[in-house]
Amino acid sequence: MSLHAIKLKVNGCPVEATVPGSMTLLRFLRDELRLTGVKDGCAEGDCGACTVILDAKATKSCLVLAAQADGSEVTTIEGLAGESDKALHPIQEAFLEAGAVQCGYCTPGMLLTAKALLDANPHPTRDEAKVAISGNLCRCTGYAKIVEAILLAAVKLDSSGRGNA
Amino acid sequence: MKSPSETGERLIGGRAIRVDGADKVTGKAQYPADLYREGMLFARVLRSPHPHARIKAFDFSKAKSVPGVVGVFCGDNIPSPGLYGLNFADQSPLARTGGKVRYVGDAVAAVAAESPEAAEEALGLISVEYELLPVLQDIHSALAPGAPLVHENRPGNIFHSARLRHGDIEAGFAAAKVIVEGTYRTPLVDHAVLQPEAGLAYMGDDGRVNLWVATQWADEDRRQIAEALAIPKEMIHEVVTTIGGAFGRREDISVQIVLCFLAIKTGRPVKLVFSRTESMLACTKRHPFEMHYRVGADKDGMLTAMQIELLADAGAYASTSLVVLNTAVTLATGAYEVPNVTVEAKAVHTNAPVTAAFRGFGSNQPNFAVEMMMSRLAEALGMDSAEIRLRNILKTGSVMHTGQKLEGGVGALQSLEAGIAAARELGLDWNRPRAEGRKRIGVGIACGCKNIGYSLGWDDHSDAIIEAWPDRAVVKIGVCDVGQGSNTIWAQITANELGLPLGSVTVARNDSDAVPDAGSSSASRQTFVSGNAVLAAARNAAEKLRSLGPEPEPGLLPAIGSYTYHAPTTYPLDPETGQSARPNYGYGFGCQIAEVEVDVDTGETRVLRIIAAHDVGRAINMANIEGQIEGGYLMSQGYSISEEYPLVDGKPRAASLAAYIVPTSLDAPEIVPVVVEEPDLYGPMGAKGIGEMTMLPTPGAIGAAIHAAVGVWLDELPMTPERILRAMGKL
Repeated sequence: MSLHAIKLKVNGCPVEATVPGSMTLLRFLRDELRLTGVKDGCAEGDCGACTVILDAKATKSCLVLAAQADGSEVTTIEGLAGESDKALHPIQEAFLEAGAVQCGYCTPGMLLTAKALLDANPHPTRDEAKVAISGNLCRCTGYAKIVEAILLAAVKLDSSGRGNA
Repeated sequence: MKSPSETGERLIGGRAIRVDGADKVTGKAQYPADLYREGMLFARVLRSPHPHARIKAFDFSKAKSVPGVVGVFCGDNIPSPGLYGLNFADQSPLARTGGKVRYVGDAVAAVAAESPEAAEEALGLISVEYELLPVLQDIHSALAPGAPLVHENRPGNIFHSARLRHGDIEAGFAAAKVIVEGTYRTPLVDHAVLQPEAGLAYMGDDGRVNLWVATQWADEDRRQIAEALAIPKEMIHEVVTTIGGAFGRREDISVQIVLCFLAIKTGRPVKLVFSRTESMLACTKRHPFEMHYRVGADKDGMLTAMQIELLADAGAYASTSLVVLNTAVTLATGAYEVPNVTVEAKAVHTNAPVTAAFRGFGSNQPNFAVEMMMSRLAEALGMDSAEIRLRNILKTGSVMHTGQKLEGGVGALQSLEAGIAAARELGLDWNRPRAEGRKRIGVGIACGCKNIGYSLGWDDHSDAIIEAWPDRAVVKIGVCDVGQGSNTIWAQITANELGLPLGSVTVARNDSDAVPDAGSSSASRQTFVSGNAVLAAARNAAEKLRSLGPEPEPGLLPAIGSYTYHAPTTYPLDPETGQSARPNYGYGFGCQIAEVEVDVDTGETRVLRIIAAHDVGRAINMANIEGQIEGGYLMSQGYSISEEYPLVDGKPRAASLAAYIVPTSLDAPEIVPVVVEEPDLYGPMGAKGIGEMTMLPTPGAIGAAIHAAVGVWLDELPMTPERILRAMGKL
């Protein structure tokens, strides 16, 4: 088994590790860094529960090897609220206020997909929001309140000026 | 204490934010796979690749020689009989020498190892000698004369049969002006809960086994673990983690028994996490049904007779198939009053996976057939398809086909009228002329009825304890919040009764050492049953607090309120006539109107808009209610047009979310929830259940809309492009 030395930034913190070549970023984040907010729903790229932000793009962490993330910046749900660990990110607030959370298993992936969307497109239409989360399965909500939450988050980010937070 | 109005929160009926929401949006919520424990082992379970086989011999020598493997076990290591099951103990946690495997995915052997890699390697080195047996791939092969038996003690592979006689069926058909008839089929489907089954077990210093797991009923898990492993139930301590969806899937045992067994055997903490494929192979599914309906109506569209035959695929093991079939019988006429009814029903064992609880619990299948029949009757009579439903819908005072006279809290007509009104407002018209062109739009309407709570003589009850101080309270109740938001409901009711802000009420962890049993999170029962228990316990606590005087010291011992709520008594069906004075103590109703576009070249359907009007008795939390309606609808859209777990010679064609088509955000139409509040006679503040009812009308509404669009009646779910083209004579 080949081993790879990697250096990356996870939630703003520098991380150095030696990982087997076959280890996915999902396994690395969960089992090595114990960032268990990254959810494993299928490990085959079908459900989107393991979505993280990898260099500004919403990425299914089960489809990327840890070694491929060398030199990258990764944001997981644990890092979404930023440095102040009390406050919620406006997108997190929007998900709560819109009732977009039920069982919560898709929620971290949905939130990070929404974050990547809003960073790139601060004022998405309803259809753009639906397209953005189309790779993230939710079995509880029918997606209606998740789409509402993303549109609400856009409004909140406008007024808070944290659009690029 | 401040009154609720003084706190400025609208606690009941508003949109209280979920009490578990902050943990879920920050990633702090821990599901079972998120648990780690010092020195833990990793477990894997070997699954049968054969639908039906006898085990001649095991050879674990190679598997045991893998470095890091701590133990390899099969059923021979479990004291006999070592069986479990939700209603009947007929499943073996692991297979035994000389025993059988009965479906692809049946548990054969288990490995515990120091690393997931070692467990995986050992799994591949387990050698099992199978004697292959003939495969019963569906109901018909299982019912064929001389068919081999799935269970030697269940002759003819018939697990359960039920019959019902109501009124005079001959007279009913004689009075009919039109009679329609059809055979309807529904598929094997997977819950596709987003969180695959997982758990962690370890031995405690007190000699008990501790199990952390996501379930729908901890007390029942403990009963089954105790029975299978021949240990006292008190020696099992179960803690319920955050639960990643359930929908009936977590009613049955998945990881629980094997985990406890391995922890006891190895003395080490053990973690077991199913992959998505293992989850789909091993776990329960919804019963496929084949249903024959013959229905008569008079010239005014009044139903005169309904002759019903139901065949349910009970799969490889009993689980809850008896109760599912009885539910299908008690709800076989849907949301309508029919004076003359016969039902013949059978649940038949096959080598399909275990079929068990799934949101609707045997009501979805007959409701699909009933609604298609109603739409066809309307067509045969030249009658408006809403009008025929308005004329026959259940009302207070109606006599159901079980002989039950409905006492009140029947919001069926109100749901139907609210759905019709919403459709008019949005311009949805089920009578519009059929369109031309390639993409044609049709509108369909359908209703649904589902019982609330345990039926047919079960004592449906729940215990709640509330510890109250002047400035805060803790709710102790053993309810599994599967994501539906029940913990938030308990906090809302308690805060409202004690005059506290929502944030001052904590719902204690669902831990078998710390909270009383409240029954399963199933049958749309918790808001009703545990809601009543919490409401009474909160009132009890408030009374005790008041007795302490106007300004009790905040640091004092809490005032403890407690209550055991028993739902109104129900009675079993008479075995000959299927009649019962009260098979169920409550029902929820709904009406959905679907606007569907069908591509006549490809057969593809697209639901454009859906109106979903549902009677909830009283909404305790409007956001939760809408969430149930939107989510239940979309799950049923999947059931209607895309989801199927097909077996070929008893073997699943695929077990992944790539092959099993769960609706995505792009498949979701505009969903218009309409909340109808017809207070229930017995529900807390008039509230009733909503979880399952949201799925019921959907297949019938979409089926009617497809007919409105392209002029063909479908009779099998899912209504795929292929089936639509075939019905149109294009394939």
